[in-house]
Amino acid sequence: MMKEFNVIGKKLAAVGGQDVVTGKAKYSPDLELPKMLVGKLLYSPHACARIIELDVSKARELDGVAAVLTAEDIPGENSYLYWYPDQPLLVSDQIRYNGDAVAIVAAENEEIATAALDAIRVVYEPLEGVFDPEQALNQGTRRVWDEKENLHSHYISEWGDVELGFAQADVIIENTYSTHYQEHAMLETESAVAYIDHDGTIVVYASTQAPHRDQIQIARALNIPEVMVREITPRIGGAFGAKDEANVQIHAALLTYATQRPVKIIRSREESIRTHVKRHPAKIKYRTGATIEGKLTAVHMVAYGDTGPYVNAGEEVMMTMSAYGAGPYYVPHARSEAYTVLTNNPICGAFRGFGVPQVTFAFERQMDELANRLRMDPLDIRLLNCIKTGQQFQPKAVVRMGDGLRACLEKASQLSGWKERIKISREPEPNLKRGWGVATSFHKVGFDKNVSDHSSAAVNMAQDGSVVVRTGASDMGQGAHTVFAQIVAEHLGLKPEHVKVIRPDTTMAGDAGASVASRVTVFSGNALIKAAETIRQTLLDIVVEETGADPELIILRNGYAYIEGEQINLRIADLAAKAYERNLPMQASGFYSMDFPEAEMPDGSSGYQHIVCYGAHVAQVLVDIETGQVTVEKIIAVHDVGQVINPKGLRGQIEGGVSMGLGYALMEELHVDQGIIQNTSLESYLIPTALDIPQIIVDVVELPEDETPYGAKSVGEPPTNITPSAIANAVADAIGKPINYLPISPESVLVAIKAASE
Amino acid sequence: MNKKTTYIAPTSLDEALKILNNNMGETKVIAGGTDLIPRMRSGMATPKRLLDIRKLSLSSIKLQGDFICIGAGATHTAIMESELLSVYCPILRKVAYKIAGPPIRNRGTVGGNLVNASPAADLAPPLLINDAEVVLSSFRAERVVPLVDFFTGPGETVITHKEILTEIRIPVSTETAATCFIKLGKRNAMTISVVHSAVRFSLDSKGKIASSRIALGSVAPTPVRAVKAEEALEGELPGMELFQNVSALASEEVSPISDNRASAGYRLEMVYVLTKRSLLTAFSDYKKVI
Amino acid sequence: MEEIRVNFIVNGKSINLSADPTRTLLSVLRDELELKGAKEACGQGDCGACVVVMNDKAVNSCLVLVGQIDGAEIITVEGLAKQGSFHKLQDHFIEKWAFQCGYCTPGMLMSAYALLLNNPNPTEEEIRASIAGNLCRCTGYNMIVEAIEAFANETAQN
Repeated sequence: MMKEFNVIGKKLAAVGGQDVVTGKAKYSPDLELPKMLVGKLLYSPHACARIIELDVSKARELDGVAAVLTAEDIPGENSYLYWYPDQPLLVSDQIRYNGDAVAIVAAENEEIATAALDAIRVVYEPLEGVFDPEQALNQGTRRVWDEKENLHSHYISEWGDVELGFAQADVIIENTYSTHYQEHAMLETESAVAYIDHDGTIVVYASTQAPHRDQIQIARALNIPEVMVREITPRIGGAFGAKDEANVQIHAALLTYATQRPVKIIRSREESIRTHVKRHPAKIKYRTGATIEGKLTAVHMVAYGDTGPYVNAGEEVMMTMSAYGAGPYYVPHARSEAYTVLTNNPICGAFRGFGVPQVTFAFERQMDELANRLRMDPLDIRLLNCIKTGQQFQPKAVVRMGDGLRACLEKASQLSGWKERIKISREPEPNLKRGWGVATSFHKVGFDKNVSDHSSAAVNMAQDGSVVVRTGASDMGQGAHTVFAQIVAEHLGLKPEHVKVIRPDTTMAGDAGASVASRVTVFSGNALIKAAETIRQTLLDIVVEETGADPELIILRNGYAYIEGEQINLRIADLAAKAYERNLPMQASGFYSMDFPEAEMPDGSSGYQHIVCYGAHVAQVLVDIETGQVTVEKIIAVHDVGQVINPKGLRGQIEGGVSMGLGYALMEELHVDQGIIQNTSLESYLIPTALDIPQIIVDVVELPEDETPYGAKSVGEPPTNITPSAIANAVADAIGKPINYLPISPESVLVAIKAASE
Repeated sequence: MNKKTTYIAPTSLDEALKILNNNMGETKVIAGGTDLIPRMRSGMATPKRLLDIRKLSLSSIKLQGDFICIGAGATHTAIMESELLSVYCPILRKVAYKIAGPPIRNRGTVGGNLVNASPAADLAPPLLINDAEVVLSSFRAERVVPLVDFFTGPGETVITHKEILTEIRIPVSTETAATCFIKLGKRNAMTISVVHSAVRFSLDSKGKIASSRIALGSVAPTPVRAVKAEEALEGELPGMELFQNVSALASEEVSPISDNRASAGYRLEMVYVLTKRSLLTAFSDYKKVI
Repeated sequence: MEEIRVNFIVNGKSINLSADPTRTLLSVLRDELELKGAKEACGQGDCGACVVVMNDKAVNSCLVLVGQIDGAEIITVEGLAKQGSFHKLQDHFIEKWAFQCGYCTPGMLMSAYALLLNNPNPTEEEIRASIAGNLCRCTGYNMIVEAIEAFANETAQN
């Protein structure tokens, strides 16, 4: 039974929207400060080389150059302290990828900064790089790092006994899949403005997903206490994972520290594409066993991810691939292995989906191949194997609420007319073949148990009842701040216009954790509810004092107190004023980390429950069998979101994620040659335009989840996880041949069509 | 961009040509800048001086005697919106619409498209099938070069540093022609063609093909005419088998390369497919009109 | 570097300034006139984030040089609200959630404005074609198209 809310689930304009449409919204490239310098980084032209000589003296002498810094000028740690501290801020010995920086300059203007870069003398000795991730694992291949092998990690996630499972199978399908790099192509490139405040605090405005993490890194690089660094996120022009790690903000801080003047660094588009992390290209070997009825008995997956020379989020991404290897299905025996491989190719890291799109492609193609072999309908075979509440999906975890998958599949079937598709022409014209594909996946909410994953938030109520939400959680466009405003407004009975959300600011708010992993609504939302609850209790106490009413019968709504459903003559503003008069605290903070209730695993060992959300997409495509071009006619996307907080924001996230998935499936391709990206412009790296996106039908399944704000889960990543697979399955259906590689270029379609049938 | 680049925008063609008379290559002509400015930004072009031709009134589209005369400074949008071209050369309008997106079309010019001489120049094939000529003006001289002789290599033409391409002329045709243009791109807008084709032919009183033209882009160092394929069409009755054979011939007259957009093999195959489809579509559209 | 003097109108205001003629209009708007709405997201006409309307046509301001703007009439997103009823286009963008991060939005609005100046009753295809030069990575475009449609319909009724 759907609960009726006042603000949750209602359409609400995006926070800050008026500024966006009038051009007033300030992103970090828009910030101007007096005496601000232009900062730039000098990047290596090579992917793998030794630095023989680095001489910045001529650059320092140029008129208008305020500072030129190299590794030896870094006061503290010369390292990005992301997941793994192996990437230097400035390289002095060995270049390991084409985006390594060797120096930074600050100058009066762009022209002088560029001249300063040109004046820096670097002598490189090119080295033989490692560019083939498979060869990288061979014994004879050169090591990316002398001190260790090119295999960084090997994760295994397993339960049951796969050999037994395969022995029980009537049919076994085995294939190898490969997926490619993807570039985030967010509209705003990496940027930061740094300056020194009157009290010596280093202030950095940065386009970032993780202000508190940046704060730590800047402090360590400058060798100053963390509290002497303040990071603020202005409006952010998109991120999708590219801005999870620090990119130019530490360098901006170093330059401001050295020059004692404000410094702005903006990466050009070419620099951005060249240097920031990419989605891991992966090779995935997948073996699936099932009974003749189509029930999965065993799954064995082995995935290889090329992470570049620096581990970055590579280990986490590959761990994620192994954690998702069995798919959103009940699989009694599973073994999912993931190898993180080091090379001198572009660094790979966080990107919306974080390994899940790649592994979904593999297991969803397998499900279709299985359906094909068993002459079952692809949707039916998925319904048959849907995981259910309480079933195991990780070695030590079961699904906390599992009914969402079935509900999404059924709704997707209904909305797409799946059962009636045989009535629609498969060959509308002699050269066109139509196909349908279904795909599903899941996404965990939060990282995992025993992992540092928490959010702080605070709420201050002013004397007039209006509220400030103090959050450190970055809104990169996904609408997090609007969601926060709604949650707090709902909880305190306020009108949304009386709730203000600050720009995330490490001085003003506690660490909310990074805006990643589809975690923001749940983690920050829950922290806010706790904070808001403290204030709500204070206000309720005042109502009781004033009226003598039973607290169980009091609610706050629309700016007023209500007793037994009747509005009384006490506005929240009045209650707030009284609170101040009576010396009652009107600031509260909340902290949330996920509770993972215990669960018993099938083997009797002790495990835990994990919140998961599901989605199902259906794609309808037309394939031109002479040119190989694929046109997507429509996509149906159904998501298990728990509770819709903002319907328009939700639709926007889903459509945006679907579009990103469509681009990844069909047209986005990075050409990397000997570690160097050949297409570093938006002319040569193609993302979908308005003429490339079809009708997208969006719907949701609302099965409220416990322990989440109003039952809401997440939706940031699931759409991008699923669309590429739905499209791949649709193309395979259209041409009657397997599609085992992404991207699905016209050429690869023709190759697939011509391939001999098995 | 290099701050040392100077800029001049003369107000008469004479003045502009006088300036260019001493040009050894350090002065580059700029109109819309949609190609030149990105190349200057990347360092691929480093002119010492820019000579802007936008004030030279070179953007008219008019009928003069037996020719449609298109000023080199006419933007792609102007071509799309030209009533005259909708009557006399509708294919040009359809092609212009497929170039990039509106902001680029509002600045990019037909002259620029030709002088940049990308093998993928969108306007080259439709102009080639219409036997276009270009007028190259220099100080006190003017020469008319058939477009088919204009391109000499990727990014290279017969134009000298002292010349400005001022006008494109298309002979007015009295006969009804079957035409078609197909652009294969990697997305539906803002895309450089992978392969594109343009065809044109008319039918004589016996229903046989006459005046056939086939032009192809992105499959050779320059936009090309498939001359042998054209000859094979002449005097024949239109039909699927003929079109297939002719398309096979066309794919023998090209020399595509492999690049980041496509492989040579794919391009070769697409020459066949696009030529065949262009001929079929041109013929079927023609039949509807006749 | 010899500067030239140019006179042009931005959002109804006459501007007279002296600048390097090879400087871009985008840099003049952002750095001289403090109009930060137009964004540099690629610097070479590939993305449309810098689109403004010049002499009633949408242009990439990163590809227009100072030497080319003398006598021009330019409207940027900051001036959109004062153009007839176009403030309602902005309202529709908010109402229809036609932006998420908002970085492409100024350019999108100006491309839509240029379309609607000449074609107040566009079809969906025409709307999509008008913003085909404006890349968006957040929305998938459909909600942007709906916002423009809603404005066109509302205006048509009045």
